[in-house]
Amino acid sequence: MGNKGWSVLFGVTMLACAIGFAVSPLMGWWMPEGVSAHAGAVDGLFYLIYAVTAVAFIITEVILVIFMWRYAKTPDGKPPIAPNAGFPTFLKPFESFLNDHHKIELAWTIVPSIVLLVIVFAQVNAWAEIKYATRNRNDGTKVDSARAQIAVSARQFEWRMRYPSAARFKGWMAEPAATRKDFESFGKIPHFDDVHVVNELHIWKDHPVVVHLTTRDVIHSFNLPNFRVKQDALPGKMIPVWFTPTKVNCKWDESRQRYIDGYDPAGKKEKDKEYTWDIACAELCGWGHYRMIGRVFVHKDQAEFLDWLQKAEAEGTRRN
Amino acid sequence: MNSHAEHATDAHGHAHPELGFIRKYVFSEDHKIIGVQFLFTSIIFLGLGGILALLVRIQLAWPHAEIPFIHNYFPDNGGRMPESFYNMCFTMHASVMIFFVIIPFLTGAFGNFTIPLMIGAGDMAFPKLNMMSYWILWPAFVLISFSFFVDGGAAASGWTAYPTISSVAMPAGQGLASPAAPGSGPGQVLWLLSLLCVGVSSMMGSVNYITTIINMRAPGMTLYRMPMTIWAMFITAILQAFALPVLTVALILQTLDKTIGTTFFLPDGLSFGNWSPEVGGGQPLLWQHLFWFYSHPAVYIMILPSMGMVSDILATFARRPLFGYRAMIYSIAGIAGLGFIVWGHHMFQSGMDPRLGTGFMVATIMIALPSAIKVFNWLGTIYRGNLQFTTPMLFALGFVSLFIIGGLSGIFMAATPVDIYIHDTYFIVAHIHYVLFASSLLGIFGGIYYWFPKMFGKMMNDNVGKAHFFLTFVLCNCTFFPMHMVGLAGLRRRIPDITAGALEAKLLPLNEFMSISALLLGLAQLIFVANFLWSIFFGAKASQNPWKSNTLEWTTGDPVPGHGNFDTVPIVHCGPYEYGEHGDKDNCPQTEKSTTPVAAH
Repeated sequence: MGNKGWSVLFGVTMLACAIGFAVSPLMGWWMPEGVSAHAGAVDGLFYLIYAVTAVAFIITEVILVIFMWRYAKTPDGKPPIAPNAGFPTFLKPFESFLNDHHKIELAWTIVPSIVLLVIVFAQVNAWAEIKYATRNRNDGTKVDSARAQIAVSARQFEWRMRYPSAARFKGWMAEPAATRKDFESFGKIPHFDDVHVVNELHIWKDHPVVVHLTTRDVIHSFNLPNFRVKQDALPGKMIPVWFTPTKVNCKWDESRQRYIDGYDPAGKKEKDKEYTWDIACAELCGWGHYRMIGRVFVHKDQAEFLDWLQKAEAEGTRRN
Repeated sequence: MNSHAEHATDAHGHAHPELGFIRKYVFSEDHKIIGVQFLFTSIIFLGLGGILALLVRIQLAWPHAEIPFIHNYFPDNGGRMPESFYNMCFTMHASVMIFFVIIPFLTGAFGNFTIPLMIGAGDMAFPKLNMMSYWILWPAFVLISFSFFVDGGAAASGWTAYPTISSVAMPAGQGLASPAAPGSGPGQVLWLLSLLCVGVSSMMGSVNYITTIINMRAPGMTLYRMPMTIWAMFITAILQAFALPVLTVALILQTLDKTIGTTFFLPDGLSFGNWSPEVGGGQPLLWQHLFWFYSHPAVYIMILPSMGMVSDILATFARRPLFGYRAMIYSIAGIAGLGFIVWGHHMFQSGMDPRLGTGFMVATIMIALPSAIKVFNWLGTIYRGNLQFTTPMLFALGFVSLFIIGGLSGIFMAATPVDIYIHDTYFIVAHIHYVLFASSLLGIFGGIYYWFPKMFGKMMNDNVGKAHFFLTFVLCNCTFFPMHMVGLAGLRRRIPDITAGALEAKLLPLNEFMSISALLLGLAQLIFVANFLWSIFFGAKASQNPWKSNTLEWTTGDPVPGHGNFDTVPIVHCGPYEYGEHGDKDNCPQTEKSTTPVAAH
């Protein structure tokens, strides 16, 4: 391969990477649609960083390839450029700047630091909104702040969900102030009438939910990629996770006598992969880690959720 | 300096009787021989780590197929790899590559080989300690190799060994088997002990490097005349000296948890099936803090020496002074300094207080700045150069090109909200492989091709080297670049069967592409091994300074100097990067007075 050939190799390879990345959304190799209230913020910040890094990638790789081409050793051994050669015409106006290394170094230190600071401060608020207890704590005094609560206990290799009984839940919604203590005790103290379900997380659209996350053996990670939610479950600790679903993915199936997920309400399509939302454990937890997968069911409203809860409760009682 | 001068002349003056083979080549105190010993063992473990990586890739691409050859080993599991075996493969792949390949390559092989030669010293400050730092690795080699054959297999809880899966143990008297995972039994204990030995080795090395660089520089070799390789080794050694004790503590605590039933990392109230540990009171997050307090600086330990070597190689073959020499030093120091306060970015989703996450994010994103400055300086170095595309130069340029990708992808995961989505996906795997394979390892290959003449007095075959570069450069992008895409599509790391999840199953074709590329990439490395071994015996004889380089190692009398390195103590008159016009030649060795001073940066 000739000396100039190497710059071609670098250029072609980097171009292939860039094109591959650019077309991957079209191929489906990309983030799934976000279906929670904060997903837009997360994705927006992703695209901000994508834009900045894409520009940096293109500038540096193009310069590298051009330099490799332009300054490759010549076959006759003469230097590719005379030591006292001037700048090309389009760079002439910047000649004094380009000759002053100190100024160049200052420029390429200050400009990236400003860009990086912009990136940093763009992130802070979204992170706080998603994860800080101070921004999410429910004090139970306002009706519209009454939330769905679910206690999730992870274990090798399944997710066990604990819901309040339908009667208790209705009490919380009707009289938030009077039931405040009981509401707040739910995460820590299991009740005899709690409803236990394995691997199914039921919530309803446009209503915030808080998950009290625990594990009884090893570290697991409560990972809901479609919702842009991820939180490790840490042995010995209960960690709150908040999010608000914004899309419906389940319906009552008369023939099977149960609610099914993977349902696209707009297209009335069943078994739709895009509407199948996994709770896929994201922290190595043993041999069955890969198949420690639950499902999220987002009901269309509170009434439908209550209907499911009552059915689950009845089923549990029957079994007992 | 007097005593040092005497040592140098004395050692080379054949005043001592010739050492026997054992003392000269096995239990040697000569830093060059020790460096080559590190080099050989690292290459052997690179092979082992590579085979483990290929097993991982095979399972990922064809999760349900019966793979020829492999299926003979798993008759109980229908000829397929059991999940626990897969977990062991990626755990040991990472552990071997990090602790037995990259770190020994960089600080062990290159640190040892280059430091005394490039600063004009006869040997390390503590030659016996240096020998010890290599031989303490042998218990580690034995333990880690033996761990594959113990009950339950080698460690399988990830190279990060997070408690409680790694550390929970049965009550005293019931053996070492773990209730959490088969590989967390005796295999995990051997893993811990073996890493302890590696840590002790690195510690001995770093103390030696720091002392040598501070005390044993040749006359005239001021700090600001040291080549970038030495600066990088110096700062890396400081990083190791300060960070390693923390890992050592963590390893000892986990060993105690596993063997004598302490509960440093085990909280109350755990239960495994029907069995519950009776005591608790520990904290699993403590391990993560201790582990990452070492292991994040370790990421810089694994890249800074490569950056130093690449800087030297680029300047040599661009025939240009290194652009922004001091800025390069300050940015390495900046990376190292910031490197101590960014460990929490591995723990954004761990259950650590999210407000801490915000602080760690700020430090982590700002660490991109010194990295960016280094890239600009490398580009400034080749600007207006006279680029000689030798094999080491190609690997150095490849390093620059791919480090840009690895550096930029790091910004995504440093941003806490974005990390929520990409944490523990293949996006992270892509990032770490762009940094450790496409950058560190490319730098290491560059270093091997560059210093091979000094190590063995022979040249490696340049055309074969170029073929090796071509295949490695193209195939490593084919292997690792698509990992960004599958990661964004939601593919989790550390899963043996990607068809289980709703988001992941459709990524199988892309996974097959990556795996085939990886297999070819593995085969391409055989070209390197063949070239390496062939050249040691049959390579063309090297001249004293085959690359027309400036640094002191090329001024020794013989191409491969004896113990003591220099016939007379070199006197240094100028910096290491005076390339370009110097009368009738285009370089100026550091031992000569500079004729046309190059503008100082």
